[in-house]
Amino acid sequence: MKALITGAANGLGRALLEQLLDDGHEVIAVDIMTEDLDRLAVQSRGACRVVMADMANVTSIERCLRSLREDKLDLVILNAGISATGKFEEIPLGAYERLIHINLTAPLTMAAGLVGQGLMQRKGRIVFVSSLSHVVGYPGASVYAATKDAIAIYARSIAKPFRKSGVGVTTVFPGPIRTEHAQRHAPKGAKENKRMEPKELARMILKAAKRGKKELYPGSAAGMARLAGYLFPNFMTRMMRRIIFDKLDGNTY
Amino acid sequence: MAQDTGKARNILVTGATDGIGFLLAKSYASRGHRVLATGRQTLSDDAAYFGLPNITYVTADQAFPAQAAHAVDAAMERLGFEGLDLAILNAGVGWTGDPAAEPAEQIATQIDVNLSAPVMISATIAPLLFARQGQLVLIGSTAAKGQARFATYAATKAGLAGFARSLREEWQGRAHVQIIHPGPTRTAMHTKAGLNLGLARMMFMSPKRASKAIQKSVRNHERQRKLSWFYGLRALFSRAGEGRL
Ligand SMILES: NC(=O)c1ccc[n+]([C@@H]2O[C@H](COP(=O)([O-])OP(=O)(O)OC[C@H]3O[C@@H](n4cnc5c(N)ncnc54)[C@H](OP(=O)(O)O)[C@@H]3O)[C@@H](O)[C@H]2O)c1
Repeated sequence: MKALITGAANGLGRALLEQLLDDGHEVIAVDIMTEDLDRLAVQSRGACRVVMADMANVTSIERCLRSLREDKLDLVILNAGISATGKFEEIPLGAYERLIHINLTAPLTMAAGLVGQGLMQRKGRIVFVSSLSHVVGYPGASVYAATKDAIAIYARSIAKPFRKSGVGVTTVFPGPIRTEHAQRHAPKGAKENKRMEPKELARMILKAAKRGKKELYPGSAAGMARLAGYLFPNFMTRMMRRIIFDKLDGNTY
Repeated sequence: MAQDTGKARNILVTGATDGIGFLLAKSYASRGHRVLATGRQTLSDDAAYFGLPNITYVTADQAFPAQAAHAVDAAMERLGFEGLDLAILNAGVGWTGDPAAEPAEQIATQIDVNLSAPVMISATIAPLLFARQGQLVLIGSTAAKGQARFATYAATKAGLAGFARSLREEWQGRAHVQIIHPGPTRTAMHTKAGLNLGLARMMFMSPKRASKAIQKSVRNHERQRKLSWFYGLRALFSRAGEGRL
């Protein structure tokens, strides 16, 4: 199987990359910082190919797509994402521009390009990484939440038309993951042991993709949050405000 | 914004050169409010275009979100707005077709105009809204649930809904945030998006009805409202029940 992962250098993307390589697959690793990946590619003896691309930049994304001309992909995981947390009106506009480009414009452009340009294998699958914020809201990261809601609805919208090209779509709604990203954006005192291990999440995502699942709420906490968000949407967003927004000190972007 | 009690209020309407936004701007201005209207076009004679003296127009092309936000900010300063009672962020564009054939620049433009610009304008006008405990009203769409041939458009509107949901909590006690989702409305938007609907348009809500329904929802400070195409019918029944339209 040939797979592609965006944001493959760190965190969840890195865990996905390593898992796929361990399982003996070919992987194209896309990221903006690739030094570390280059080392891994050498060690992988050809199984891992590195493509440097800036997901904040449409020209760079289009160049990335062109470099895939000769490929037929079985699995694509559009994982690259950033956040901006703090008081909404205090975060500079440039940070929002970057956030929306990386989290939203990039995965949509990649997905449309990959299928439109025939780079996906029939029976191939595209995985979008949304967030548990889709069901509970995320005061203190309202623009991040907006991009994750947008991703979820895009994935839902394209499911049927992409099926015509034989391409399946999976959306993942993870809660906090134990990565540097979570560390940077969580309020002080947030418990680290409540965050999911990237390795464990990577395994769950690959399993869900293999089984052709449309949605994955990984872990029992995510499942419960989903139910609570469905039953009491406004209450849950208020809870999120108390748990996160009221405890944030300072803005991180 | 409370009832229209006759006091002149400061109001911003984006995307006011056509469709629902045009009617909203004119309707508020005709009741004596000071309206700042925006759009992507340059108008040679705004007074003639809107036919009302208390509408000021400024070009703020949301395909360049940060520039648009700055243009709005500068215009409010020129007008001497010390506060903003109501901001209706209504400008929007769509593209219709097979999502696999959607060009990259269409994806980018819709995200810029429909999501990035409202986000940046909201951030820029925040202090003026706080000064009056004003209302921020985002215009979404019933397509926000997902739509195969409007995939990016639907995504941007879902993004707005999520933005409203979380920001409403953040801004509690400082400004009121609401989202209104119109259903299919008989404006030129579909034609601009490349969709020829023919007779199906007859089933759509009239822009006038949509504008009225939005104003009602604004008056009532509803956190969220869907305007369905049978709004007119439902309004008739609910009038019997609630004694208001
Ligand atoms: N019509 C519907 O069925 C429907 C349904 C659900 C939601 N909505 C939403 O309702 C809102 C109003 O739509 P409408 O039906 O009244 O459409 P419309 O008649 O096309 O009006 C849209 C307005 O936005 C302006 N605009 C477009 N691109 C812009 C840009 N880059 N920068 C600044 N302004 C820009 C348009 O300017 P121009 O005059 O230059 O085109 C126009 O003034 C939109 O947000 C739309 O998504 C409409």
